[in-house]
Amino acid sequence: MVIYFVFLTISAATYALFSLGLNLQWGVTGLINFGHVAFMAIGAYSTVLLSMQGMPIPIAALIGAGLSALLGLIIGFSTLRLREDYLGIVTIGVSELVRLVAKNEAWLTKGTFGVQGYPIPFTCREEYSLNLLSLTCPTNSQPEYLVKILLIVWLTVICGLALWQLWRWMRAEMSRVVAGSVLGIFVLTVYICGALSLYTYDPRAGLMLLVLTTLMVVYVGLEKLVHSPWGRVLKAIREDEEVPRALGKNVFWYKLQAFMLGGAIAGISGAFYAWQFSVFPDNFEPLITFNAWIIIMIGGAGNNLGTVIGAVIFWGYYELTRTDFFKAIFNALHLDDTQQGAFRIMIIGLILMLLMVLRPQGILGKKEELTLGR
Amino acid sequence: MSIQPLLSAQGLCKTFGGVKAVQQAGIEVATGSITGLIGPNGAGKTTFFNLLSNFIRADSGQIELNGQKIHQLQSHQIARLGMVRTFQVAKALSRMSVLENMMLGAKNQAGEKIWQVLLQPKLARIEQQELKDKSMSILESVGLSAKANDYAGGLSGGQRKLLEIGRALMADPKLILLDEPAAGVNPRLIEDICGHILNWRKQGLTFLIIEHNMDVIMTLCDRVWVLAEGTNLVDGTPTKVQNDPRVIEAYLGID
Repeated sequence: MVIYFVFLTISAATYALFSLGLNLQWGVTGLINFGHVAFMAIGAYSTVLLSMQGMPIPIAALIGAGLSALLGLIIGFSTLRLREDYLGIVTIGVSELVRLVAKNEAWLTKGTFGVQGYPIPFTCREEYSLNLLSLTCPTNSQPEYLVKILLIVWLTVICGLALWQLWRWMRAEMSRVVAGSVLGIFVLTVYICGALSLYTYDPRAGLMLLVLTTLMVVYVGLEKLVHSPWGRVLKAIREDEEVPRALGKNVFWYKLQAFMLGGAIAGISGAFYAWQFSVFPDNFEPLITFNAWIIIMIGGAGNNLGTVIGAVIFWGYYELTRTDFFKAIFNALHLDDTQQGAFRIMIIGLILMLLMVLRPQGILGKKEELTLGR
Repeated sequence: MSIQPLLSAQGLCKTFGGVKAVQQAGIEVATGSITGLIGPNGAGKTTFFNLLSNFIRADSGQIELNGQKIHQLQSHQIARLGMVRTFQVAKALSRMSVLENMMLGAKNQAGEKIWQVLLQPKLARIEQQELKDKSMSILESVGLSAKANDYAGGLSGGQRKLLEIGRALMADPKLILLDEPAAGVNPRLIEDICGHILNWRKQGLTFLIIEHNMDVIMTLCDRVWVLAEGTNLVDGTPTKVQNDPRVIEAYLGID
């Protein structure tokens, strides 16, 4: 149960990272990107293939992020002058292009069989160089007691900061108390499960700590940027790009920056995706992009905290409906396994429709912003 | 003319398909003046503005700002050189606050670069405080300070016009192009806007104004250029232009 929760946390945090990248592009800057999964695919493949060549894992992941940003630069240069909807069409095309190249260039990517047996942080494999830089432990032995304690302290710091943020958010309005408490309990559960599994030292616990740390750094950085004059220019572009242009801002360059930075963040999420799940070309179908869109719509476009909460809700829903309790309900409805999968997605569609009717601004979005004309 | 004009354009042409929107049109705006640009509907005034600010690239022609050729520059570069335009339908950034709209206007902000936000946050913060004070004093002078923290989308048409001019002022321009500042604004507020424009001119700003409201043109302008069917018709003092038979013909279509 504890390790299952750790697994869930890594998944949600990976998707949160992925969606934060899209939120910068779409929620803040208004760029319609339907091919976000391409950045994730590039990040995942680069990290995995480079680290298999013996490159230290963190450096491989950073290069993966860099290559994703490069893809953003290339797409951006060729398409950011297009009007919004055309950008959407081109990006979805590019993401399929990336997937199909991965599928067919077997000399590089192992094709449809996917990449197997690549190094994963904190997981020991004899065949790779083992040192601190590669984030792998020397043998299958446990880390020292002191190291474990330090890791748990670090987790405490992260969860403490998260709770503090949540408290500040909750204090601003009374209506947030219920939602805030639920999230607070969630963070505490993550903390307890994480601390327990760090103590018994499961490799997954290390990965969880790593993804939470990355998420925190990215989140704090994005919050700083979005609320800076830089973010103000991006929001102005979202509202009407002719205004910043008339005021002397290089709109194209700002769009490119948003596109590249969002792409790089998605690239990092790709590395975690590879470590958490697997690397097959068909993992990176357009569906993943639209999951990120769903997450942002649930949380409220342009809102980083909302995006993270959206990712938690999304994964919570996915995993909850896999439990025996829901299985029993589905069985009672005479649905076989395939039908159950489709049924769960159908429910998501229904939830989205209800959300659009009842709370179109998303959980943390601002209602006033929807009623304002141009 | 002995003094070099702040802005001069010659021989601007632009065709959209078969339509010759602007052909061989030019203008001169003297430093410190308020220059008017009038003409019947469809004369190509707004297109001419778009050509001047390079929002639309001219097919041919030359534009000089302060002696520097600018027709090859991108529109944001032109704005940085000190010529800031506004729009016929005022563009308030609806989902941003009035204050944010204003602060966006300032040029070359340190905090507009990613690395400076992350590496020198203090510098950006001090600068933002200064910009905030400056924005508030401009908002104060145009009577919008009470709305500073409201969404700009909630402003009325006339207030949006004021916000747009104020936002342009934040960029420390030499020359502001105003596209119909009085259109759709109630008469009381039109007077206010005129008063502000005269006041800012006293402080050294130059204006080029498109306007249909002849009262506004007569009150404000030192010199008026008339555009009809995409070309220059006449130019001169407001009184001269108003009584020119060719202008009356262009507006009323007398055979």
